[in-house]
Amino acid sequence: MLVLGVLVALVAGGCGGSGSLGAKALAQQARSLQSVAAEGALLAEDAVAGKTTQIYTREHSSALQGAAAKAEAALESARTEPALAPKLRELAVLAGRIGTALERLAGVSKDQQRALARELEAAAHKSQQIGTGLT
Amino acid sequence: MKNVLGVALGILSAIGGFVDIGDLVFNTQAGATFGFQLLWVVVIGVVGIIVYSEMCGRVAAVSKRPVFDLVRERMGFGAGLATLIASEVVNLMTCAAEIGGVAICLQLLSGLSYRLLIPLAVLALALASWVLPFRWIERVFGYLGLCLLVFAVAAIKLHPDWGRVAHGFVPGSHAGGSLLVYLYFVVGLLGAAMTPYEVYFYSSGAVEDRWGLKDLRLNKVTSIIGYSLGGFLSFALMIVAGALFLPRGISPQFLGTPALAAEHALGQVGLLLALVGILFAVGGAAVMTSFAGAYNLAQFFGWRWGKKERPAAAPRFTLSWLVIFALALILVMTGYDPVKLTEYSVIFSVVALPLTYLPILLIANDQTYMGRNVNGKLANTFGFLYFVLILAIAVAAIPLMLLTHGGQG
Repeated sequence: MLVLGVLVALVAGGCGGSGSLGAKALAQQARSLQSVAAEGALLAEDAVAGKTTQIYTREHSSALQGAAAKAEAALESARTEPALAPKLRELAVLAGRIGTALERLAGVSKDQQRALARELEAAAHKSQQIGTGLT
Repeated sequence: MKNVLGVALGILSAIGGFVDIGDLVFNTQAGATFGFQLLWVVVIGVVGIIVYSEMCGRVAAVSKRPVFDLVRERMGFGAGLATLIASEVVNLMTCAAEIGGVAICLQLLSGLSYRLLIPLAVLALALASWVLPFRWIERVFGYLGLCLLVFAVAAIKLHPDWGRVAHGFVPGSHAGGSLLVYLYFVVGLLGAAMTPYEVYFYSSGAVEDRWGLKDLRLNKVTSIIGYSLGGFLSFALMIVAGALFLPRGISPQFLGTPALAAEHALGQVGLLLALVGILFAVGGAAVMTSFAGAYNLAQFFGWRWGKKERPAAAPRFTLSWLVIFALALILVMTGYDPVKLTEYSVIFSVVALPLTYLPILLIANDQTYMGRNVNGKLANTFGFLYFVLILAIAVAAIPLMLLTHGGQG
């Protein structure tokens, strides 16, 4: 039973989450995006303040960017009911913007990092708003 | 003086060995989701691992035999085999997650490719396991794992609301998030604190260290103080996550995220100490899980075992831990996310907990093995209460994981 459970969970966990999304699933995507953007904003703020190492900034922002790209791909390939379609598109665009900002984070000047921190913070706020509107 | 040193080393090893990838993931996620409200669960988990580790150490010191050796003898072949299979599956998943964690830490420190670092990490861990004597494995990973204390300093520097922190030690109704997610984290935190491999390793380690009746006090002190201090690190992780991540809506999904808290509070020194601490804590846990798996196999089938033996003198034991490393390597190389793997390994270890802890309770109560060192009233009361708790969370673990989508709500 345990072995079977492990196999089912591993397979389920490895599967992507595309398909038809309801309001709850969209709200979940919005929360994930908010988290990624907020974490990216915190990392960017700390990079500006000289608190982090260049390697950590590059590698961790890359991991966050990967999560944003995965969310963007899932949102772009997903379908939803007509009333939720605008929110789905908005989230997909937002995921793309978050991914782009994170991709640039490690290789730019401190001034640009400061701007990216603000951009990511705004994206986190927007994601939160969308998520709240869906619940 | 030698005894004092022995106690100190035991304690230090326990601190370094207690916090593994499961604790890092579940404590920070719980803190980021519920703030300080789940601190009481860590207390319950730490008391549980103390109760059962003390029993395991005592069984090993009195009988000079590790727990798994006695499981088959006391429970019979069928029940013993079920325990063996369950523990090996969980061990392998945990070992793979820890190896993934080591590779991520190395990546965050060096900037090299994660996929390149996975085999290098396994090679380094296997080499360390092969070359270093048992005590030095404990010491190296235990001492360097102590860098995790940086999270305690970070917790202070982040100025949490200490009144709310204190309130978190009192079980009560939760605020924010759903009840099911709250219960999922209760189960996960208990599972992360009471992971089966810890008691198997502790018990076999006691035999490797040649504990005898004179070491019963050392066993008590090591388990109580060592795991309490390990629990202290878990508190620190939850507090930093509650103080920094929760207000910002950050839900940690990466092993690099806890290090961000130390970095935010203490700058580059904090970041580097956090990464080194995590590296050695999860590296130590990877070694412990591979050994625990090999110990269980060897003790169940009656093979010659022990790190104190030359590899050629205990070939099946040596081959077992090497194979566990190799299988874990394959599992991580498939690209499965180590954090997800950790979540599953912790939840499935909860399901296997009764199979681990019931034999320990029975053997520690059996005068045939224990003589006058059989469980006292206090150990039995705690042991029984914890076994009931373990049964309850074992039943609830998988339904909660499915209903909450792994704590996502």
